Amino acid sequence: MARSEAAANTYLIRPNYKHKFKAGVAKECIREILRDQLSGVQYNPEEVPTLSRSLADSIKNKLKYVGFDRYKLIVQVVIGEQRGEGVKMAARCFWDADTDSYAQDIYMNDSLFCVAAAFGVYYY
Amino acid sequence: MYPLKKITKEDTWRSDDLKVHIQGHHEESRRRDRSKREGEHKKHRDGESLDRRHRDPDRDAKREREKQRESTKEGSKHRDPDRDRNQDSKGEEVREDRYKEKSREREKAVDNSSHRDGDKGSEEKRREMENSKRRRNREKDRYNDGDIGMYKQRDRDIEGDRKKDGERERKIEMDRRKEERREDLDHSRTEERVRDKERERRERHRARESDYSQHENKEKQREGDSKAHSGHKEREHRIDRENREKRRRDKGSHEADTSHSREVERERRHQERKEPKDYLHDIKDGDKERMKARERKEQDRRRERRYKEDSDSKRNDRKRTEKHKESSGHKHSDRINRDKEESTAIPQLTWRSIQAQMSDPEIPVENDEEDKQSGKDYHNDDYEEDFENYEEDFEDEDEEEDDKDEVEHDNRGREEKRELSPRRREEIEAIQRAIDEENERISSARSQRTTTESAFPYRENHSDGGRTHGKIIDFVSAKHREISQKVAKKQKQRSEELLRLIDLDFSITFSLLDLPPVNEYDMYIKNFGTTNTKQAYVQCNEDNVDRDIQTEEVEMMDKWTQHPPETKAACGGPKVSQETTDESMARMTTDSQRLTAFLRSAKQVMAVLIEENMAESNSLRRLRSQTDALSFSDGCLQLNTKLPFLHGRQVSLLQFSHIQRQTLLSVHPPSSKTSAVPLNSETVICVWNIWEPSRPQKILLYESEVMCCCFSPGKVTLVFAGTSVGSVVVWDLREHSGTHCNLVVGKEDWTLRYPTFSTDAVLSGVGHLSPVVSIEPVLSTGETGSNSILTADIEESLGLSFQLGSLDENGVLTLWVVVELPKGNDSGSQTDLGLRPGGKVKLLHSSSLQTTEKSLQHIIGCGPPLSLQLKFLPSDSNHYFVGTNMGLVRHGTRHSLKVLPKFYRSQFDSCKPVEVTTLDFSPSGEPFFLVGCSDGTVRLHSVLRETPLMEWSGCSICTPILSVQWSQTRPAVFCVLDAASDLHIWDLTEKDYMPVITENIHNDRVTAMAVFGEPAKQNTFSGVALAKQSGKVEIQYFKKSLTVSKASDKEKLQSVLQDTF
Repeated sequence: MARSEAAANTYLIRPNYKHKFKAGVAKECIREILRDQLSGVQYNPEEVPTLSRSLADSIKNKLKYVGFDRYKLIVQVVIGEQRGEGVKMAARCFWDADTDSYAQDIYMNDSLFCVAAAFGVYYY
Repeated sequence: MYPLKKITKEDTWRSDDLKVHIQGHHEESRRRDRSKREGEHKKHRDGESLDRRHRDPDRDAKREREKQRESTKEGSKHRDPDRDRNQDSKGEEVREDRYKEKSREREKAVDNSSHRDGDKGSEEKRREMENSKRRRNREKDRYNDGDIGMYKQRDRDIEGDRKKDGERERKIEMDRRKEERREDLDHSRTEERVRDKERERRERHRARESDYSQHENKEKQREGDSKAHSGHKEREHRIDRENREKRRRDKGSHEADTSHSREVERERRHQERKEPKDYLHDIKDGDKERMKARERKEQDRRRERRYKEDSDSKRNDRKRTEKHKESSGHKHSDRINRDKEESTAIPQLTWRSIQAQMSDPEIPVENDEEDKQSGKDYHNDDYEEDFENYEEDFEDEDEEEDDKDEVEHDNRGREEKRELSPRRREEIEAIQRAIDEENERISSARSQRTTTESAFPYRENHSDGGRTHGKIIDFVSAKHREISQKVAKKQKQRSEELLRLIDLDFSITFSLLDLPPVNEYDMYIKNFGTTNTKQAYVQCNEDNVDRDIQTEEVEMMDKWTQHPPETKAACGGPKVSQETTDESMARMTTDSQRLTAFLRSAKQVMAVLIEENMAESNSLRRLRSQTDALSFSDGCLQLNTKLPFLHGRQVSLLQFSHIQRQTLLSVHPPSSKTSAVPLNSETVICVWNIWEPSRPQKILLYESEVMCCCFSPGKVTLVFAGTSVGSVVVWDLREHSGTHCNLVVGKEDWTLRYPTFSTDAVLSGVGHLSPVVSIEPVLSTGETGSNSILTADIEESLGLSFQLGSLDENGVLTLWVVVELPKGNDSGSQTDLGLRPGGKVKLLHSSSLQTTEKSLQHIIGCGPPLSLQLKFLPSDSNHYFVGTNMGLVRHGTRHSLKVLPKFYRSQFDSCKPVEVTTLDFSPSGEPFFLVGCSDGTVRLHSVLRETPLMEWSGCSICTPILSVQWSQTRPAVFCVLDAASDLHIWDLTEKDYMPVITENIHNDRVTAMAVFGEPAKQNTFSGVALAKQSGKVEIQYFKKSLTVSKASDKEKLQSVLQDTF
């Protein structure tokens, strides 16, 4: 047990710079996906739940291939209707600011707004 | 139908057992009460039996309800027996060990009671113990409320149950079924079993009730209670075990066939279970008959009731039951008889006897199986419910196992069916063996588990509890849990290790979206404002942008610098801009300064050269002509005095500098004639360079008449003049021409200089009160004429600090200190009022002394004595010589020391009114001086003697001598000019009684004369400057004979000196 622990105790406290969660890259990914899938889409309350889920999945899948090694990815997609109301969204994280980061992008058209945020939490 | 029935049969069997247990317990509790009042045993027991009889149906009814519930939980109930069996068979020893441990403590306390109670007590106790296992949990719970509470509850149940007689149908049916199955068995046995089951059922009811109530309570309470009541329980256990051991011992002797330990155990337990009944019989003794009868009656009654009520559904069954009843009645009687017989035997051996009766081994085994199962069922039931909460987690697995259990159950059912046939015995044994093996496996697995579980105390406790109560916990789920816990632990450890290395912190709040609300107007515009409109044009002033820059343009420039600066340019740049032009201007200014400096020095040279060329060409012709005129002259040139402002002026005075011997001062007093130039009233002093005769170097102006003048002792930088108004004035020749007024006459530009400093402003008490007749610079002490050049240079470098002596007519000798200021003030000085604005030189009054003796003034009585000439002794400037109008030359010192001779006088006449017009010391350093008097006599004096060495009066009789001057180059030569314009040149080496040359210049009278010469140089020159009446100034060079000094000159002077002595 002890041996297995010693063997398992190979924590990488800091990610390789190459593999570090880069907000800019992630943001580009998110933007691309949002633009591709939301351009010309009208808000439809029945379709939106599945749409947001599929968006989150596709963002997550895309981010997986970017190469954020050892990162746990959390993707949150919120789609709302544009009706002139004020909307305020904020996120707060309890994490290690050195390694963990997030990327976020907004897509808006006349009928809806979409906020997608991807949080990369480093798994040590 | 059949399998269902089987299950129900199983349940009924269990219920029977339960009845037995309950009865046992009931009796036990009663007995406990009874122990206090031992005498009333029997009555109580009777009541109790009644109670029991009453209770039975109630129990059944109650059981109905529970069965329904059980149907859901059957699995667990069925499963548990298996587990228990496993544990019991294999883990019996373990349990026994445990019992032993517990009992050890108990023994001491309980042994007494057992002894005290005696045989009966022991029997009772034994019974208690037999039931103890079953009761344990029940008691635990019950103790919470106390026995009374339990009874009350039971009563309540009974009452409630009685009303629900209908529900009993099923139970009765079951009983019937059981009986049918048992048709093969002995009737007595059957009845026993029935009774057992009934009892068990009852007991289970009670247990359930208590369990329910207990489940309502908290489980912890139960645990605490179990501890609290463990003493009681344990005592029971101990006694039970003692009995068991005794029995075993006995068994060892009696029953060789039951050598199989497990079987023994099982049998023992079976006996234990059976015992209460036996004991009941034993104990009751007399009452037995009654009791049995009552029981029978009760059963009958029950059956009757059942028949009535069951009439609808199960008539067939009823018929069978009736048959049974009859048979059971038979059995009962048999049984009773048997019991009676047995009752006479020793109570402890009762069970043995019964076993002995049960010679057929099948039956005990079978009974064992059943009893155990039912007992265990009961137990497990109890526990199952106790631990229901605990084991809810396992239910998933339980359900899986349920299937298995059901299969096993079926097997068991089958066993039960087959149990009667002796052939099946082997099968049963085989099955048992298989079970044992399985148990072994599980126990080994469990032992492993216990080791692994050691890390988790909570889990261990849990499993311990399960084990002590003969319970088995599902391992699969445990394994799962263990794994998950292990993983969790690993994760926790990992997190602990990592959290040491990592700092977690709350991030700032990221604002993901901030969408401001759209106001109504915008919304309206968005939705409706643009409908039916089209944007055609946009007009805006976009391209009309006004841009302001507040910062100034940065100027860039390349510069270079070098050190030391070359040609006044220390820095500059390639780009032509304003600065470079400025710089060039600066360079130009500097160049101009340099140029002026250069020109100033070069101009003189060039001018001199040009002048010389001109003079050469001009004067050669002229000198030719003039050499004829002047016998001594080697050449002559004329200073250009034909200047407009000098026009018509005579020259009153000529003065050469002692250092720069070519420099000549000419004083032109104002003339009476009017001229074109407005300078008539002013004296003009011209500074000449005799080599540059065409024009004077400087032109000095003074308002009043200048009586005397002299140069500064060093370089010709200062000109001093004494005036007729008693002031001493100074000109600084270095002053820039720009600071003086210019006079443009014709084409030429003349700079006219006014005095730099004048003593006019000095307080009258300090200055002269009468015309200054003579002015002389005081040379430093010990200075000789030969080395004066050097000292002059030094003095000049030291800032021209020297003294100046001035003598007025009254004989007052004033000494001035010439001070040069480091910096001139162009705005003028407020303290030095005599200083010209921008002037740098001033005179400070040093001291004044009276040179004339007062006594002498009155001796002669012919007018005031006048001082006319002042000379300082060249070798010692402290000595001054003053020529007077009495033909005397006074001699004194500046410090008023008495020196001899006091005065020098003529050879013939000591004192006569003859003015000493001129006084000149020999420049050669010899202590001689010449004195020229107004009566035409010339005297040669030695400083040491009062009387003259020589005195000549013959050549110019009654003609005043104007000037007597030694030649600068020949010590024995001097020139004498008299008022008759006769110039006499004396050469003492040739003639000491008359002059060598005498020239009469009558066509243009000579008014002034000055001798110049350069003694030190090889190419010496000497000559005399003659100022003519017409205002011309003529410079005559002496012939070589008069210029070059000879050895005879000094010899002559020496001889003259010696002649006189």
